[in-house]
Amino acid sequence: MVEPATSAAPGSDAGGLRGRRLLVVEDEYMIAMELTRSLEELGAEVVGPAGSVEDALELVGRDGGRLDAAVLDINLRDERVYPVADALTARGVPFVFATGYDSMAIPSSYASAPRCEKPVDKLQLARLLARRWQG
Amino acid sequence: MSSASPPPKGPEVSPRDELFERLVESSTDFAIYTITLDGKATSWNIAAERIFGYGADEILGHSADVIFTEEDRAAGEPQKERDEATRTGQAANERWHRRKNGSRFWGSGSLAPLRNPQDGFVKIVRDRTEVYCTGEELREREARFRLLATSIPQLVFRTLPGGSRSWGSPQWSDFTGMSLEESIGSGWMKAVHPEDLPATRAAWEGAEERGEYYVEHRVRRGDGEYRWHQTRARPVDAATDRTGEWVGTMTDIHDLRGLKDRQAVLLAELQHRTRNLLAVVQSIASQTLRKSSSLGDFGPEFEGRLRALSRVQGLLARSDHQDIDLRTLLEVELVAHGDGGVGTGKITVEGPTVALPAISAQAMGLAVHELATNAVKYGALAQPQGHLSVIWRLESDHASPRVSLEWRESSVTMPPEGPGKRKGYGTELIERALPYQLRAKTSLEFGQDGVRCVIAVPVRRGGGERKHG
Repeated sequence: MVEPATSAAPGSDAGGLRGRRLLVVEDEYMIAMELTRSLEELGAEVVGPAGSVEDALELVGRDGGRLDAAVLDINLRDERVYPVADALTARGVPFVFATGYDSMAIPSSYASAPRCEKPVDKLQLARLLARRWQG
Repeated sequence: MSSASPPPKGPEVSPRDELFERLVESSTDFAIYTITLDGKATSWNIAAERIFGYGADEILGHSADVIFTEEDRAAGEPQKERDEATRTGQAANERWHRRKNGSRFWGSGSLAPLRNPQDGFVKIVRDRTEVYCTGEELREREARFRLLATSIPQLVFRTLPGGSRSWGSPQWSDFTGMSLEESIGSGWMKAVHPEDLPATRAAWEGAEERGEYYVEHRVRRGDGEYRWHQTRARPVDAATDRTGEWVGTMTDIHDLRGLKDRQAVLLAELQHRTRNLLAVVQSIASQTLRKSSSLGDFGPEFEGRLRALSRVQGLLARSDHQDIDLRTLLEVELVAHGDGGVGTGKITVEGPTVALPAISAQAMGLAVHELATNAVKYGALAQPQGHLSVIWRLESDHASPRVSLEWRESSVTMPPEGPGKRKGYGTELIERALPYQLRAKTSLEFGQDGVRCVIAVPVRRGGGERKHG
């Protein structure tokens, strides 16, 4: 059921990732790899993945201007990803949360950002990203 | 039957006297009798028989002082009453009276001299026990209410519907530091948090139909701290109280609400962990699938990894997601894979007590699972002469302390084709995942006589010595 959509025609939501540069922030290696692979399969170029706020901020600082969007896990070991979200916002880079947290557990200042529940459905993620670029 | 001959009035009875006589006779609520100057009964109506229990035939000609209680008689009350009636024209009082059978009743009485004072007195007594007791009971009930209201931890108040208070218990004043005078009417609302005032007022809507007022709001303590209170009020029983007032209590639920909030946080955390775990399972499944040549390969590999994940989750659950003892983690994995090799000389497990942060436990558990699976299939645990030693030590000389663990297999005849496909997932986990997510330094070698793997994982300062929260 998934396959036809991944090989989607140009202009479809999934096809919308082609050539886009995406930052992935996720501390769990296996999940990060899985996400990276999925996004690459949809034609995106992945920056990272970064497993900590520090690493992510470094990538944003170095590469921020060339990022099209970011996918952020909220809980990174003992820290929260919000400083990265702030840095992206300051550069006008849209982002999507990929998290196990309910929207209720997210501070109100970030609650308006789109949110993908884990385990992430890559097509849903692609649609959310496409909507951000249109918006 | 009996009633007495009224005081002699001559042979003719005037209509007025007859009316009087009939009135006296027919009166059932008023005991009416006459006595001589020294208290002997000279007439005794039906009501007197009923109220006092003495028949006219028993009492006429005898002292009627028997209707006084023993104490009153001893105190000379009957004579005092007669003296007062003589002096002032009437002696009225309320007191306990005694019946023939010894029981008592509360009666109001009035003694007045007869028209001819030498004839003695007329006395009228009415049984007021019921009225007296109701009043007494009300006073007692009120006293009990005050006692209860002032001795329970709740703040108690009386209010009209709408919130105008008429009374607040001393606890209210103690808590808020507001006097009763400041608090009555709507003065008490000054102690309610301004944000909660609308809810405090709105809770009266429909309260009368429901018969209950209920609100949760913050109330300012004397020291300025606001604490959450649960306030309830109910109408006072209209049968015994016609003021239309309600009585209410305010209970401090501040700590309870704190617990509720913490519970919500825990629930969010649990959701997060569950979803994260599902994502881990998903990634293990898809990577195992990617590295399996057939579904027949996939099944046991995937199941083995799920079991390892589940063992670590079990340890985490037991430690309440706090640190995990490294030795326990290793032994649980080895026992799951082995035939009791631990302690038989085939496997050496050695190292100090190390508290592994919960956050690192899952990846470590999975890594050990990969090493052990490999050893059981191709390495030290598959071959009779093979030996496995797992030795670790704390390295606290670094900027951040870490535990360095060495997995060393020896006397193993390595398979000619090398470790094969398995290398894929296990190698990626150890060489890439551990450094990525645990900031671990790792090395993995397939040496001449067996596998050698070193994993150095950061631990918290002091974490090596004992567990801490």
